[in-house]
Amino acid sequence: MIGGDLGRLAGVCASSEQDYATRGYHGLHEAAAEAMPEVAALFRAAGYHLENLTCLDQRAVEEMGCFSIIYQFGRYDDLDRQLVCVKLTGDQPAISIASVFPGADWYEREVFDMHGVGVEGHPDLKRILMPLDYIGHPLRKDFVDQDSLRHQLSGVVLEEEAEGDQ
Amino acid sequence: MTTAAPTMELVPDEEDRETYILNMGPQHPSTHGVLRLRLHLEGERILACEPVIGYAHRAHEKMAENRDYLQFLPNTSRLDYLSGMIYNLGYCQAIEKAMQIEVPERAEYIRLIVGELNRISSHMLWMGTYLLDLGGITAFLYGFDDREKILDLLDYVTGSRLTYSYGRFGGVTMDVDEVFLRNVADFCDYFKKRLVEIHKLVTGNVIFRHRTRGVGVMGADLGISYGLTGPCLRAAGVARDVRKDEPYGIYDRLEFDIPTEEEGDCFGRHMVRMSEMEQSIRLIEQGLRDIPDGPVMAAKVPKRIRPPAGDHYFAVESARGHFGIYIHSDGSDVPLRLKLRTPSFVSVSTMPVVLPGTLLADTVAILGSIDIIISEIDR
Repeated sequence: MIGGDLGRLAGVCASSEQDYATRGYHGLHEAAAEAMPEVAALFRAAGYHLENLTCLDQRAVEEMGCFSIIYQFGRYDDLDRQLVCVKLTGDQPAISIASVFPGADWYEREVFDMHGVGVEGHPDLKRILMPLDYIGHPLRKDFVDQDSLRHQLSGVVLEEEAEGDQ
Repeated sequence: MTTAAPTMELVPDEEDRETYILNMGPQHPSTHGVLRLRLHLEGERILACEPVIGYAHRAHEKMAENRDYLQFLPNTSRLDYLSGMIYNLGYCQAIEKAMQIEVPERAEYIRLIVGELNRISSHMLWMGTYLLDLGGITAFLYGFDDREKILDLLDYVTGSRLTYSYGRFGGVTMDVDEVFLRNVADFCDYFKKRLVEIHKLVTGNVIFRHRTRGVGVMGADLGISYGLTGPCLRAAGVARDVRKDEPYGIYDRLEFDIPTEEEGDCFGRHMVRMSEMEQSIRLIEQGLRDIPDGPVMAAKVPKRIRPPAGDHYFAVESARGHFGIYIHSDGSDVPLRLKLRTPSFVSVSTMPVVLPGTLLADTVAILGSIDIIISEIDR
């Protein structure tokens, strides 16, 4: 039901209805990053709430080559779940929707923390789950744990063991 | 606040009034795990609150990307160790929905019974520890006593007390026997009487009422802006329950109500949980009445679990609210991304707006009443 209104917004490029019985949501939309605050405001005005927000690292996926932010909106009074996908190429940041949905604040911090995707206009963008001085973004597909002492230690042990064997 | 030795700093604000910054946690007994609240205080009154999370981060979502779907199953009960069964079964149901696997009737009924038992055990532990937070030790013993009875029942079928991994894609690992069903029926009879006692002991207690009524109000508007779910939302008068609105398993053919309260305060949340336990007993009794004979595993489960490429979402009602599993599959054995949408994460993120203006002593009452599990916040 929100599909028609969404389609009229500039920046919403594609919308498709989905089979709820197999997918678990009713609609999937694609929007430009800049359009997101407006899209979120439209959902808010229509009585939706932000149910989930996450990021996919699809840089290594053919025909994608980007990060995708997935915004998920649901309703309290009705069963209607809409997913909005925003594709971010290169270092392009996402635009914060925390001014529309304050609940997005922590989700966006998590996206920044785990995927290293910047969020423009966020009130206080910093790590949320990892320590503030942590190096790297764990949920990136090319993540190598450089910060862990465990790796360094296990290397030492292995070398000593190897010497002992000889 | 004498139990821990919190670090305090004195910071003059713009008007040169001195405000304290007090770190409540991460080792404070009332934060139920390792949550840290950075509180700005003016005397006893809270000016601002900043929750600091991540102390129990175990990278469950990263683990999901490094193993196949079945191998991730044991992780799900470690998200919320108090209602691990609901998370286990929720994950199984998410995969079953994506793969279109039919679950035998008997397995659905067993899932209903063990899931609702687990919900009661979680609520009983909440009731006990909440009262302990507020200084009532007797109720704590009542809560843990009843919870242990449920854990014994679940231990009997699953072999473990908290981390069950009882579900499988297409059913459950083991069938239940007559002894279990009889014991569950006995427990239901016992627990109904017990709930009356607990209402007398806790709900009717004058001190408890004074500590919780009108404290920590979370309204329906807060729900919309933060996406709040579970007892926190239902205490604010919104009758939203995934079991009713988006029925999974066999919830659509059973009779139960969604208890709500109007005030949205700590007392309301207590009442919602108490009534929810009554409804859980109602559900279990219907399950015991109707449970059919038959297999507990689907005959045809694909050997390789490969959900169709694309986004999948599935939600269940955990003891704390809407637990969602978002899976982005690329059609291989391993998910490209598995995001766990946990209710406590949302509840705690509302603290910066709920706590300011309240007294330090109420922080414990409010934080306890939203029933947080740190391991599902930090994942």
